[in-house]
Amino acid sequence: MRDEASKFLPSLLAVVLALAVSALVVWASGHSPSLAFAALLEGAFGSRDSVAEVAVKACPLVFTGLAVALSFRAGVWNIGAEGQLLVGAVGVAALAQLVGTSLPRPIALVLALIVAAVGGALWAMIPAVLKLTRAVNEVIATIMLNFIAAALVSYLVQGPLMEASGRYPQTEALPAEFLLPRWAPYRVHLGLVVALLAAAMAHAGLFLWRPGYELRAAGLNPAAARLAGIPVARRLFWAFVLSGALAGLAGGVELSGITRRVYERFSPGWGYTAIAVGLLGRLSPVGVVFAALFFGALDAGSNAMQRVAGVSSVVVYVVQACVILFLASFERWQRRRQQVDSTGNGNPSS
Amino acid sequence: MERSVQAASTPGAASDGVSVVLAARRISKRYGTVQALADVSLQCFAGEVHAVLGENGAGKTTLMRIFAGEEVPDAGEVWIDGQRVDFRSPADARAAGIGMVHQHFALVDSLTVAENLALSFAEPGEWRLRPAELAVRVRAWAQELGLELPPLHTRLGDLPVGTRQRLEILKALRRASRVLILDEPTAVLTPQETQQLFAMVRQLRTQGRAVLFITHKLAEVQEIADRITVLRQGRVVAEMRAPVADLADLARAMVGQFTLGWSKPPASRGGEVLALRRVTCEPAPSGTSLRDISFTLHAGEVLGIAGVDGNGQRELFEVLAGLRPPTSGQLCVAGKTTVARNPKDALSAGLGLVPPDRRREGLVLEMTVLENLLLHDRVLGKFTRRGGRIDWAQAREYGQQLVEKYGIRAGALDAPVATLSGGNQQRTILARELAAEPRVLVAVNPTRGLDFAATQFVYAAITEAVSQGAAAVLISTDLDEIVALSDRVAVLYRGRLSESLPPPWDPAKLGALMAGLEASGAGNHAG
Repeated sequence: MRDEASKFLPSLLAVVLALAVSALVVWASGHSPSLAFAALLEGAFGSRDSVAEVAVKACPLVFTGLAVALSFRAGVWNIGAEGQLLVGAVGVAALAQLVGTSLPRPIALVLALIVAAVGGALWAMIPAVLKLTRAVNEVIATIMLNFIAAALVSYLVQGPLMEASGRYPQTEALPAEFLLPRWAPYRVHLGLVVALLAAAMAHAGLFLWRPGYELRAAGLNPAAARLAGIPVARRLFWAFVLSGALAGLAGGVELSGITRRVYERFSPGWGYTAIAVGLLGRLSPVGVVFAALFFGALDAGSNAMQRVAGVSSVVVYVVQACVILFLASFERWQRRRQQVDSTGNGNPSS
Repeated sequence: MERSVQAASTPGAASDGVSVVLAARRISKRYGTVQALADVSLQCFAGEVHAVLGENGAGKTTLMRIFAGEEVPDAGEVWIDGQRVDFRSPADARAAGIGMVHQHFALVDSLTVAENLALSFAEPGEWRLRPAELAVRVRAWAQELGLELPPLHTRLGDLPVGTRQRLEILKALRRASRVLILDEPTAVLTPQETQQLFAMVRQLRTQGRAVLFITHKLAEVQEIADRITVLRQGRVVAEMRAPVADLADLARAMVGQFTLGWSKPPASRGGEVLALRRVTCEPAPSGTSLRDISFTLHAGEVLGIAGVDGNGQRELFEVLAGLRPPTSGQLCVAGKTTVARNPKDALSAGLGLVPPDRRREGLVLEMTVLENLLLHDRVLGKFTRRGGRIDWAQAREYGQQLVEKYGIRAGALDAPVATLSGGNQQRTILARELAAEPRVLVAVNPTRGLDFAATQFVYAAITEAVSQGAAAVLISTDLDEIVALSDRVAVLYRGRLSESLPPPWDPAKLGALMAGLEASGAGNHAG
């Protein structure tokens, strides 16, 4: 709708600056930045295998990034993608335990995706209801529910859903019916297609569909949206729930595409990285896909960097953090400039 | 000749023996396209309360912020004790003896009284705070000022607003004791607290301090002020000694003088489209409740609702928009009693809404002009296809037509509406609301902050809509605007509406109604 290219300019700048800062960190820790980045690039894009691995790493981030984008667009600060993801995954594991091999694969898979989405949505509904009926701050509620979800997973994998052999605190491996087809010989799976489909649907929903338009208006200016007859509370609620569903899908897809089991620390923080992904993608579904690929590449390349250049893969977190900090400061700077520009149109004094 | 004029106007040299503490000389300040202050001069004397009176947006707060060192003027000078000063920061102003108490207090609710005062009462360079000694200083200072203190260990948030305000004054005077600026201090107070504040202000006056008192309430000026400066659209429009003989004069100075060259052709009255019967509602935060408001409105007619701001304008808009359900009374649109529980109901009943704050309520600034032109339940409905899809191709065509018809900046359809000037933003709102063909347009201060051309455009658009059979309720604090556009005028005062008067309007009578001097015939039926 808008000048899309210029919208992503701050993101590019943030990435460049973040990489520059991490180069400094690498240099300060006594390593060669050029060697480290060369290894990182090689590790991410050096071979077909590694490119495929980038896609694998990006897949859950596309889902959770979309979850963040959707909720932030509605002015709902859903920081709970992590918890919603875990509930989605554990839901699929429970489903598999329940039905076993009794269903044909396509039906089992569709059912799994539905269960993952519903699980995440239900988990998101808790803070949504608290926010709308009791005015509970959703940032706090969702963060706390992340811990509760982690504890829930921990209980389930040591109790009701623990593998039959009882050796490790993890669920039984999913039966073949529940595995997403892979593109052999790589680990890339059908979940990536689902993720891209979700991004396309989110884009259409936000920009071509009336409830999406209303959601954006309600998120940007609830007072104006209300005066225009938009049911603001309802839009926020559904944004929250859909956001949870997307995060739940991330868990379900990762489970049946890659890990096949749920265990403690199932997620390395996809729900949190999602915030960086969403912001870097400027809360636009298309932008989220690219941002997820960027973070996927960092993740995939960081191992090679550690192996070849001896630089700890933790540097990736430095990049991540810097991206967020730079974006946030650009935002503030932009807003201040806008305020100066526009005071003339508003009420300069009371 | 010229020399003597110069000498007489030199700040610091006062004619009647009292000394000028603070003076502004020809101060101008501009924000973007709006001239917030133009050539404003003012003298403030020791031992006097100087009221600065004006509507919202008149420039009162801007002027005070310049005095307090929070804003730097584009042109003009500030003088203290006959010396020209150049404030670069609030600290400069405090050092010169000027302290300001803002509408929003700079206090921390979760700390105790003592903790809130600690920093102001610590000596410069005193790093370790000794509570006992601070308490002694606080008490001594309060005694010197003659102000009563709440217990020092109370949590601030547990204190009534009036007491918190007293602490702010205590704090402000500790650092800057000569001139105290109070920005709309009574806006948050109950009547009893207001009386206590006035007692405090009188006390400060007898101590020889100068108090600058900002307000838009006429009765307060009469009660507390020695001198009055009235600002309107950034200019000084009147200066007088208080109490004034004729409050109505003051009201007119504040809201306008019938100077505008616009007159609406007389209405061709159609059927009744809007009726309020004895509507009463709760007040908005720090607002005024409506009491027994009744009026009727016919197609082709503009009812002007005049009054000094804060007398129920906000509430009347909210009741009409469905944001604030009346606690009693009836609202009929086109003969049907509606219970507008939300703006959607109001819009579908045929109301058009031009809210008082276009940036905060009228527009989604980050969205494009096109998206803002659709921001209306019925308009959106027109372009929604099966399954909720928006037909953007048709919507764009519609938007293009509106941009042309309403003279919104060409090529702006895809620009964020924030990048438009105030005039173009208001055109966007009017275009949206009028294109939905409302039965009744409700507009609140539709030209506030707009330049001449944009103002004329708004008048023309409203007049045209009305000539084509719509009706309009024009709620405005600008009397010129009311007189220019209305077929009948009623005055809001303390939540009550006067009977509605046909032209020609007598400025004295309207002024008296706005000042509450003339009984408005409570609960009457206007129209």
